[in-house]
Amino acid sequence: MFTKKEKKFTLIRKRVPYLFILPWIIGYIAFTLGPLAFSLVMSLFDWPIAGEAKYIGLANFTKMFTADPQFYNSLIITFKFALIFVPLNLGAALVLALLITQPIKGMKFFRTIFYLPAVVSGVAVSIVWGWMFNTEYGVFNYLLSFLGIEGPMWLVDPKWAIVAIVVASAWGVGTMMLIFYTDIKSIPQEMYEAAAIDGAGPIRQFISITIPTITPTILFNVITSVIAALQQLTLVLLLTGGGPLKSTYFYGLFVYNNAFKHHELGYASANAWFMFIIIMLFTLMIFKSSSAWVFYEAEVKKEKKDKKEKKKKREVKNNEDLQKA
Amino acid sequence: MKGLRVHLFLVITLVLALFLSACSSSESSGSESQDGKVTLRFATWDVGDDVELQQKLIDQFNAENTDINVVLEAYGGDYDTKITAGIGAKDAPDVMYMWNYPQYKDALEPLNPYIEDRGEEYKANFYEALWNYNSVGDDVYGLPVGYTTHVVYYNKDLFDKAGLDYPKAGWTWDEFQAASEKLTNKEEKTTGFAFPGKPDPYDFEMYLWGNGASYVDEAGKLEGNLNSPESIETFEMFHSMLEKDIAITSESWGDTEMKSGKVGMIINGAWYLSAFEEAGINFGVVEVPSFGDTPSASIVSSSGIAMSKDSAHKEEAFRFMEFWTGEQANKERLSFELPVLKSVVESEKLEEDATKKVFYSMLEQSEGHTPTSFITEDWSRLSDDLELVFEQIFNPSTRVEPKDAINSVVE
Repeated sequence: MFTKKEKKFTLIRKRVPYLFILPWIIGYIAFTLGPLAFSLVMSLFDWPIAGEAKYIGLANFTKMFTADPQFYNSLIITFKFALIFVPLNLGAALVLALLITQPIKGMKFFRTIFYLPAVVSGVAVSIVWGWMFNTEYGVFNYLLSFLGIEGPMWLVDPKWAIVAIVVASAWGVGTMMLIFYTDIKSIPQEMYEAAAIDGAGPIRQFISITIPTITPTILFNVITSVIAALQQLTLVLLLTGGGPLKSTYFYGLFVYNNAFKHHELGYASANAWFMFIIIMLFTLMIFKSSSAWVFYEAEVKKEKKDKKEKKKKREVKNNEDLQKA
Repeated sequence: MKGLRVHLFLVITLVLALFLSACSSSESSGSESQDGKVTLRFATWDVGDDVELQQKLIDQFNAENTDINVVLEAYGGDYDTKITAGIGAKDAPDVMYMWNYPQYKDALEPLNPYIEDRGEEYKANFYEALWNYNSVGDDVYGLPVGYTTHVVYYNKDLFDKAGLDYPKAGWTWDEFQAASEKLTNKEEKTTGFAFPGKPDPYDFEMYLWGNGASYVDEAGKLEGNLNSPESIETFEMFHSMLEKDIAITSESWGDTEMKSGKVGMIINGAWYLSAFEEAGINFGVVEVPSFGDTPSASIVSSSGIAMSKDSAHKEEAFRFMEFWTGEQANKERLSFELPVLKSVVESEKLEEDATKKVFYSMLEQSEGHTPTSFITEDWSRLSDDLELVFEQIFNPSTRVEPKDAINSVVE
């Protein structure tokens, strides 16, 4: 009798939460997990949009690795983009976050301004940047002309197009800035006060207090921005269309065009799965490396000694750097 | 505990199954509503005011045909992607706007029996050249709705300033280049001619036609066609205009340059007529210049409407298509679309309109040319390759010799 009651109790306790999240579970299976699994199946087929799909085994993957030079080109371009974009984006977000944590009047206004681009749709962003980058009539080259510089042909010259994409992408830095901002805000003020009493200047405070405290946030932002960079599509699709001379033919565009321009859904699914694996490996690598540079408060007690030594070393090095400067 | 999980899993699966089946059943019953009316889904790529106008026309059709209810679905910018997705999911609209027939033909209903049913006169009232663009091989897949040919837009003010006569039909590329040279003025930053630095290969083929060449022959072979002397000569002409600085490449389609008033001529379709008027450009239009003996030709950018192969109400769908391409609808669209029916062109006296008649004479001149996209099997890939090569020829940072570039794509 008693045990039965208990059982009933756990049964309800276990079932009710599931009922609450049932809408999400249905949505997740129908719109995320289902299509994901389905695309894996599709990658094994020659799948045109109209007409019958044909099972071809791993032929899509062999084609991708052996017979499609554009695959490698797009992959290299995308990595190149990520390599420039991720550090730049992190840096810009951090600097902006620091700026808006300054106790100055009207900061709320700037906070809004800085965040604004993040809520503008990518399509609108592309159109506006397309105008600004125009060689003859664009704002950039007009402003450069005041400095006596003849601006580059941003979207025509293959060397500059990728720079243009990086600049336009970095514009949407607001979200990351906000994440940094909240984290910086949560650092206790006493730490800075203590540091100030010990004679640490603002740069020193930043390096020894701010940076170590926000490393978990940096980790999060690195991972999300790597993923975003590797999946970049909207901007190249609308701003350059992959050009000039395929210099911005990103992997995302490669997949998109294979699916919706060339109507090879199976091949595009194979492409997408390959990128999925790459992103997973990258994320894994970054996570693995995180134990070396990410600092969690919970770790303090466990590895106090170890950390202290490391910190000392770092401080010594920083001191040297400062002196050099 | 284990039993419980299995139990829970079953519940979820069951709910999910019910949920999904509810979705699919509502879809299949969607085409026939309760009052016995047939519902037709009609997809359009138009946006803004045009959609409103279309909706008005549809309301009219629905009022006149009590057994049919047409629902307009305006897909806007990403039309092709959405149609593609719809076809892929076996959920295509019954009737849809269409231009790229070769790519979608497997999902479309051949219309030959319906058209033959309406008689010879019905078909003959459309301009012949347009059927070519709405068919693949012998199968007609669409009824023509609108079209535009490409013409030369020229800036009258710049012509006056340079003391040049306005160009006339039948002029040649030599005359065109001479005019372009006179219109180019370094100090005033004017240039004679602007063309897209990344031309759409589909459009560019018309210049080859004018010189008696084309990308491929009837069997779809590139060798000896794309790299024929006439074809290469055509590319070299455009290339040399850039080298001589009497032409510039545009980052878009040349319209921005034309609107700035700093460019003498561009070649494009009827899309920009109202835009240039709004920009206050004093412009005229004239036929594309010829290479001498053969008359010039233009690609036709045509729009038609096609029927889905999977439509459950084909006879009703065709009745709607007939209405949509009929005289009255042609007239309603006069403000933004060139009519495709000879009877309408005649009754509206468009042959006397100084601007519009140019588009019609280009259309008649261009009869008999079939774009490569309708011949070759894999146009979307070929088009990508060609686009890259054209860009290499015209992009200032590469600007390779046409001959080498073209031979590379033929290989």
